Amino acid sequence: MSELSRREMLQATAAAAAALSLPGVKVPLAGPQAAKKFFTPAEFAVVDELSDMIIPTDDKSGGARAAGVAAYIDARLAESFEPEPQVQWRTGLKAVEDLSHELNGKAFMDSTPEQRLAVLTRMAAAESDPKTPAEKFFKLIKGETVHAYYTSKIGIHDDQGYKGNVYQTGEYAGFDPT
Amino acid sequence: MTLIRFKASQEQDVDLSRTYDAVVVGSGAAGGMAAHVLTAQGMKVLLLEAGKKIPIEQELRSMEWPYDHPRRGEFPPGDHALRYNEYTVRQPPYAKGAAFKHVFSYVGGWGGSDYVKNILVDEKDHPYTGTRYAWVRARLLGGKTNIWGRLALRLSDYDFKGKTHDGYGEDWPISYADIQPYYDKVDTYLGISGHNENLPHLPDSLFQRPNKLTAAEITLRKSLATMGRVLTPYRAGVTTDGVKNKYRSKCFGRGACGRRPGGCDIHAAFDSPTGLIYPAMDTGNLTLRTNSIAHEVLVDQNSGKARGISFVDAVNNRTYEAKARVVILAASTLESARLLLLSKSRQYPNGIGNSSGHVGHNFCEHVMGPGATGMVKELVGAAPTLDDGKPGGFYVPRFRNLQDKQPGFVRGYGFEGGSGFSIFPDGAWDTPGFGGQFKKTVRDHAGAFISLGGFGEVLARYENYVDLDPAVKDRWGIPVLRFNYQFGDNEKKMCEDMATTAREMFEQAGIEVIGVDKRILTEGWSIHELGTARMGSDPKTSVLNQFQQSHDVRNLFVVDGSSHVSASCQNPTWTIMALAWRSCEHLADEFKRGNV
Repeated sequence: MSELSRREMLQATAAAAAALSLPGVKVPLAGPQAAKKFFTPAEFAVVDELSDMIIPTDDKSGGARAAGVAAYIDARLAESFEPEPQVQWRTGLKAVEDLSHELNGKAFMDSTPEQRLAVLTRMAAAESDPKTPAEKFFKLIKGETVHAYYTSKIGIHDDQGYKGNVYQTGEYAGFDPT
Repeated sequence: MTLIRFKASQEQDVDLSRTYDAVVVGSGAAGGMAAHVLTAQGMKVLLLEAGKKIPIEQELRSMEWPYDHPRRGEFPPGDHALRYNEYTVRQPPYAKGAAFKHVFSYVGGWGGSDYVKNILVDEKDHPYTGTRYAWVRARLLGGKTNIWGRLALRLSDYDFKGKTHDGYGEDWPISYADIQPYYDKVDTYLGISGHNENLPHLPDSLFQRPNKLTAAEITLRKSLATMGRVLTPYRAGVTTDGVKNKYRSKCFGRGACGRRPGGCDIHAAFDSPTGLIYPAMDTGNLTLRTNSIAHEVLVDQNSGKARGISFVDAVNNRTYEAKARVVILAASTLESARLLLLSKSRQYPNGIGNSSGHVGHNFCEHVMGPGATGMVKELVGAAPTLDDGKPGGFYVPRFRNLQDKQPGFVRGYGFEGGSGFSIFPDGAWDTPGFGGQFKKTVRDHAGAFISLGGFGEVLARYENYVDLDPAVKDRWGIPVLRFNYQFGDNEKKMCEDMATTAREMFEQAGIEVIGVDKRILTEGWSIHELGTARMGSDPKTSVLNQFQQSHDVRNLFVVDGSSHVSASCQNPTWTIMALAWRSCEHLADEFKRGNV
C-alpha cells in the first residue's frame, strides 16, 4: 500500500522534526476563551514577540502575532501529556531573560527593539549546531512558529496564496506529458 | 459541491450454524476482490474482518483546513506515533512500557495524524518481536486500502521471469500473458489513471485521463528522455473519469491524498469497501462479520480439508466457528502467514499448508530511503500555481538491469517523486535564519522544489522469515509474529546506486541538487511486505500453486501478497488484485465442478 511519495517523506520528516522539538504536546478542543493557559502573562508576551520577530508582518501578509502563533503554542503546552515540553519552554524562556540581562542589562520586554534583535540574533547564531540553552531554545520556538504560522489562515492564504484544496470540475491544472 | 453518497446495502445476518460456500479472512484489496469475484459467480460468501466498520467519510474529512482542526490535524494528547529513531534504537515490541495512551506506527506521524487514529492499530494491543521492523497495520473494514498510497503498477516478465533473466531466485509459476487479462479487468472495474509509455518492463494499463505534471516535472521528463529514462505521471488507482459504481465519485483533483496519510472521502481513490465489498453485498451473496479475529483454520479430521475458521470476537472476546466449503486467507502477507502457522493440528503439526516448511519464509518487500531534493532556479519567485491537486506526483520506472548488468547488484528500483506548491511550504523547516528575509525566502522558494525517492526490490531469501513468538501474545491471547528479517548486501548496494542516479538525473536536467539522502529506512517502511507463502510448481519449495491454492489442502487458498514469489520494484496492490481475480475465477469454476 504505502507508496510514500518523496513529498510525503519530506512532510513526514518535517513532522518528525516538529514532534522531536515538542513531543506529545497538543492543543485543546475548546475555543481560545476556554483554552487552558500554560504561559504566565510575562512569558506569553515574550513568546508573542519572539514569534513575530521570526515571522514578521510584511507587505504581503501578517506575521506570527496576527496569526495567533503564541496562543496556539500556549494551548498545546497547556494540555501536554508529557512534562518535558513544558520544562523545555520554561527553561528556554529563562535562558532568553538571562541572555537579555547579559547583553542589555534588562528583561527582554523592557529592552528596545534593537536590543531585542541583538538577543534573537545571538540565539540564532548557531542554528545548525545549537549548544547553549538560548541557542537550543531558538530551534524550539522557530520550529513551532513555522508550524503554527504556515498552518494558519494567514500563512496558507495571505502569505502563501495556496491554490489547492479545491474541487477542479473541469481540466486538472498543470501540463500534459508530451 | 454536494456529492450524493449511497449507504451500503444492509449487511446480511450472520448465520454461524450454516456452512457457507467460502469464508474469506480479511477485507482489504485481496479479500475484497475475493468477495467480489466469488459472489459475482453466485457463491455464498462469509467475509470476516478483524477490525470494525467506521464512518470513514467522517473520519477522513479530506477537505478540512489545518486551522479548522483544533490541533492542526495532529493527535490528541497522549497519542504517539513511532519515530524513525525509535525503530532504529529499540527492538520490538516498540510500545512496550510506553507511557502514552496509544502508540501508532510511523504513518501516524505524517501530517494529519488525527485522521488515522481510528484506522491504524494501537501497537500496545498488537505487539510483535524479533528484529526491527516498521510494521504498519490497519484493522478496519477495507484494511490498508483506506489509506493506501494509490500508485497502481503492473509487473512484467522481467519480474515474473526474473530468474530466467538474471539467474537469481525463482520464476513465478505464471507469466505476464496469464495475468494481463486480469489486470485489464481490475483497471476497468476500479479505474486507474495514467499515461501510456509503451515500456516492456512497466506495461501500460487501460488508463483513464492522467494527472498533469508541473513545470519542474516537464523539465525533468524532457531531460530524462535524453538519458533513455522515463518520468510519467503517477499511475494512480483512482478513477478520474468515473466508474459504474454508485458508491464512488470520480476524482476532482482536491489533492487531499497528498496532504494526509491518505484516504479519500469521496472514494475516487480505490478502497476495498466502496470498490469491491458494497457492490458485492448488493448481489445478496455476501455476508460480512466485522470485529472477527481469525486465529485458526479448522481442519476436518477425516478428509484433512479445511472446514472453516475459528475466530475471536474483538468486542466480547468469545470464540466462534465459521463453517465453509472453501477457506480463503486474505489477511495480509504477514497476518496470513501467522494464521497458517497458528493452525497446528495432528495432520499439520507445522501449521496448515506448510509441508514445505516455507510458510513465513522468502519474506520480501521494497527498500526505500535514498533519493534527492532539488531546486529549479527558474521557478524561484514564481506566482503560486495549483500543483498538488492530484493523487500523486510522478514515477520514474526501473532502468537498471534491464538491458545492462550492474556490477554491484541484481534487479532494480523505481522512483516516486513530487514537486511544486503544496499546502505547507517545502523548505520552511530547513530555511535558516529569521525575520523578513526568512519569510520572503520561504515564500519565493515554495514552488521550486522537486524531490524523488527510490523503491527497490528486496530479494526473496529463505533466511528472511517470520515465525510465532513462543511467549508473547496480543491483546486477545493470540501468539504474535517474531521477525527474523534484514536487508542484505544487494539492497545496500542498490541503495547506494539510487542516491547516485537521483543526483545524476537532477544534474543532467540542470536542477540544483540541494540534498541527497543516502539513509536506508527501517525494514518495513515501504508497507509492501510480500512473499511469506509463495506460489510455485514444486510443493517442496513453495506453499501455493499458480492459483494461490495450497499444495497440501486443496480447499485452502491464500490470495494476498504472501503468494508473491518476488517483490519486483513495482508497488504490489494492483498485482494482488489481478492475481486474486484470476485465482477466484478459477476457484469458482472448480467449485461448480465439485473439484474443491
